[in-house]
Amino acid sequence: MQTKNIRNFSIIAHIDHGKSTLADRLIEYTGTLSKREMEAQVLDSMDLERERGITIKAQTVRLDYQGKDGEMYELNLIDTPGHVDFTYEVSRSLAACEGALLVVDAAQGVEAQTLANVYMAMENDLEIIPVINKIDLPSAEPEMVKQEIEDVIGLDTSDAVMASAKSGIGIEAILDKIVEKIPSPAGDPEKPLKALIFDSNFDAYKGVIAHIRVMEGCIKPGMTLKMMATGKSFEVTDIGCFRPAPVIMPELSAGQVGFIAGSLKNVKDVRVGDTVTNALDPAAEALPGYRGVNPMVYCGLYPVDSADYDNLKDALEKLQLNDAALMFEPETSTALGFGYRCGFLGLLHMDVIQERLEREYNLKLITTAPSVIYHVYKTNGEMIKIDNPSNLPPPTEIDHIKEPYVKATVIVPNDYVGAVMEISQEKRGEFKNMDYLDVNRVMITYFIPLNEIIYDYFDRLKSSTRGYASLDYELADYRESKLVKLDVLLNGEAVDALSIIVHVDRAAMRGRQLAAKLKGIIPQQMFEIPIQAAIGNKIIARETVRAMRKDVLAKCYGGDISRKRKLLEKQKEGKKRMKSVGSVEVPQEAFMAILKID
Amino acid sequence: MAVGLYIHIPFCRQKCFYCDFPSGIGSEALQEEYTEALCREIAAQGSSLSGATVDTVYIGGGTPTALPDELLAKILRALWAAFVFAADVECTVEANPGTVTAEKLQLLRVLGANRLSFGVQSFDDALLRGIGRIHTGQEAVEAIALAKAAGFKNISLDLMYGLPGQALADLEQSVKMALAQRVSHISIYGLQLEEGTAFAAWESQGKLVLPDEALTERMYDYMTEMLPANGYERYEISNFAQKGFASRHNLGYWQDRPYIGIGAAAHSYDKKRRWRNTVDVSAYNRKIAAGQRVSEAEEVLSRRILMEEFCFLALRTKRGIPAAKFKEKFGCSLWAVYGESIRQLQARELLAVDGEQLYLTALGMKYGNIVFAEFLLDEESPAK
Repeated sequence: MQTKNIRNFSIIAHIDHGKSTLADRLIEYTGTLSKREMEAQVLDSMDLERERGITIKAQTVRLDYQGKDGEMYELNLIDTPGHVDFTYEVSRSLAACEGALLVVDAAQGVEAQTLANVYMAMENDLEIIPVINKIDLPSAEPEMVKQEIEDVIGLDTSDAVMASAKSGIGIEAILDKIVEKIPSPAGDPEKPLKALIFDSNFDAYKGVIAHIRVMEGCIKPGMTLKMMATGKSFEVTDIGCFRPAPVIMPELSAGQVGFIAGSLKNVKDVRVGDTVTNALDPAAEALPGYRGVNPMVYCGLYPVDSADYDNLKDALEKLQLNDAALMFEPETSTALGFGYRCGFLGLLHMDVIQERLEREYNLKLITTAPSVIYHVYKTNGEMIKIDNPSNLPPPTEIDHIKEPYVKATVIVPNDYVGAVMEISQEKRGEFKNMDYLDVNRVMITYFIPLNEIIYDYFDRLKSSTRGYASLDYELADYRESKLVKLDVLLNGEAVDALSIIVHVDRAAMRGRQLAAKLKGIIPQQMFEIPIQAAIGNKIIARETVRAMRKDVLAKCYGGDISRKRKLLEKQKEGKKRMKSVGSVEVPQEAFMAILKID
Repeated sequence: MAVGLYIHIPFCRQKCFYCDFPSGIGSEALQEEYTEALCREIAAQGSSLSGATVDTVYIGGGTPTALPDELLAKILRALWAAFVFAADVECTVEANPGTVTAEKLQLLRVLGANRLSFGVQSFDDALLRGIGRIHTGQEAVEAIALAKAAGFKNISLDLMYGLPGQALADLEQSVKMALAQRVSHISIYGLQLEEGTAFAAWESQGKLVLPDEALTERMYDYMTEMLPANGYERYEISNFAQKGFASRHNLGYWQDRPYIGIGAAAHSYDKKRRWRNTVDVSAYNRKIAAGQRVSEAEEVLSRRILMEEFCFLALRTKRGIPAAKFKEKFGCSLWAVYGESIRQLQARELLAVDGEQLYLTALGMKYGNIVFAEFLLDEESPAK
């Protein structure tokens, strides 16, 4: 394929605005898969993705399309995640494209995350094609949405495509627009090889598979390649593209998107953002890489059954093969034993990883409440970074603490401005500004401590705006705050895994709420269990779980053993989800109780 | 091989408010039809079990004594005709004090019943009315006297605690009355709210006031102290007997002995499989009349399940788990399978080990379910 007939693009859209459905239609329309072969939402291949209706991993698919000029075009769609946690993945995908479809729901308008991603695409000099989707909805207002895109983003929408992916309207127009407007990739197949690794995955048979965009030169099987950053050399055995299943091809040349595999067993050798070149005829310099990804949220993951410690490690390593953003290191808790401190891009990322570990690796886990990274300035002049509340030094050694603030952008109908401001204020937010996007939609910007965002900011925002608010945030800066460590004692013993760091003004209230919540979660046991919340040596709240008295002596009717068995099995299932902390059996959800406080 | 027989009579004069056992108020015609079907199943089971000796029979319900005398007589005659019995067979009939007469009791005695189990529950008339019983305390006293007069030497009575409105003094009074009857066996049961019962419905409407946990515990403590102090040994968590009067039939359930259930909703176990008969009485009658199978829900018990049940059922008894028998049956040591659980339960003072026997401590009896659940293995567990 000549580079002039190649188009590389991605789709930018807010959750629920129809990105996956549109991708499905493009695959179907171009005959890449027949209808029979299509599973709904082909690109969201993880069960979790399909269940939650979100994209987590970027995926690519090659489509062949005959343009209006009669020529065959190779269209490479590089799918991108739509959630704020996965912005990093988006940036990787965009670097491999020359253009993007901006899909906006005709009834909903532009949302906060769409904005963030479209700005990122513009920074990457991508050609952006606006697509107004769901135009057949009764509540659709395509003209208003077009105006909004012009006003807010500053994009010309005169030739925006009117579409309904669900009903198959506008699909051909979109394909023609891709061919017509998105520039063909630059790059010379004759030059020394330069290919950008934008993703990787691990295959049990083939080892590490690198997803690449070839910028210059050409790759053929048998070539010896070299990773420019890690220096790792290897021989290519397989080359191909995704349609969307992997298909072997004889070569990949400048402008094309696909995968390579070879003697790559260690995922650490394949760094996303690295440049692949020909070991025998190397390029003079590497492509600009990506900025490293930094986790924003940390939590402890512990196996309920300590015998699963090694299995947890294996599972985390396997997940990390496909998820460069996942970080983990061993950690010990007095209460929970051996586990891992894991870093995530955000709460959804954390949730997804935890669920995959439980589901795909059959692990029963305890997740501790998430924490951000605090900068603790000690009286001896040293600054330490703390991502686990239980590691906070004693107050006498602390001079002051700084916590991360994010710049949070909320887009909401103007009826809800009051609600958004109230919640943001309550979450220690500092108002920055407010812009009208159109007559009834407002964009509000606040600086808010990330610590508050990860509790229940988004949930509260959603519920008090009837789901209309969309949120995007990015790390802004670190600011000094009066923070204290809140400890929880069960049966008189401090449980390190339950400690949290809170602002001093709300410590007392949080302590009371947490103790009350725990009382509802910790089941009655053979003895009375006092639950105390404390700051330093001061007890600020106390609750008691009363002792369970005894079993009822029940009649076992006529040898009906199955009935008794079912009862015991239920009891055992309940116990499996508990961890013994000292002499107290604590259910998994207790460690996340702080998130469930209203 | 000796087996136990359980015969189910699913009829009552009135459904007690707490009861979720398969029983109901059947019309005379239905009772006759059922007796007919039951006798046919008895005959069929008898011929398929030829070679086995029956050493215990338990006619339960429902209320067996709610049946007219001639139907009860038919059932007992059918039994004697169908099976081979051990010379010392224990034959229990459950009885409601409000449904017995001197004639009925004499008839039962003549037809081979040698043990009666009276559902007395309490000797307090107000409490009895409150739980839907049809008899008074005085009627219970009279029924027991009649049974003795009819020649029954092995008589049991059931008492319940934790009843709506029951005070500790009420329970103490009932226990004293029970002791005064000089019966050979006493069972105690705590009131439990079961789904689908009148009590469960009232509870959800907030109309049921039950004694709190602290009070029911004091009732339990009182009974478990008083009965042994008066010569009734606690040979099983709910059952107390004078020497030599433990219920052999019920022990069979806990000691891994096979039993055949006959009649609607009756359960059976042959040491390999477990099954249950059709629950609905009319459906049971129809199937028997049509010569169809009434056994359903058959489960072939895996080695894992057999091990678990061997243990948690045996733990209900004073003797507890016989480790030697476990080894004999499963070819591996009890400790190889449950060592860790046993050690933990011992440390929590719920379980005691005496040579080859593992049994519940007094504390363990209070929290039996905690101990029993520890004897469930993981599904993938090798149970080597």
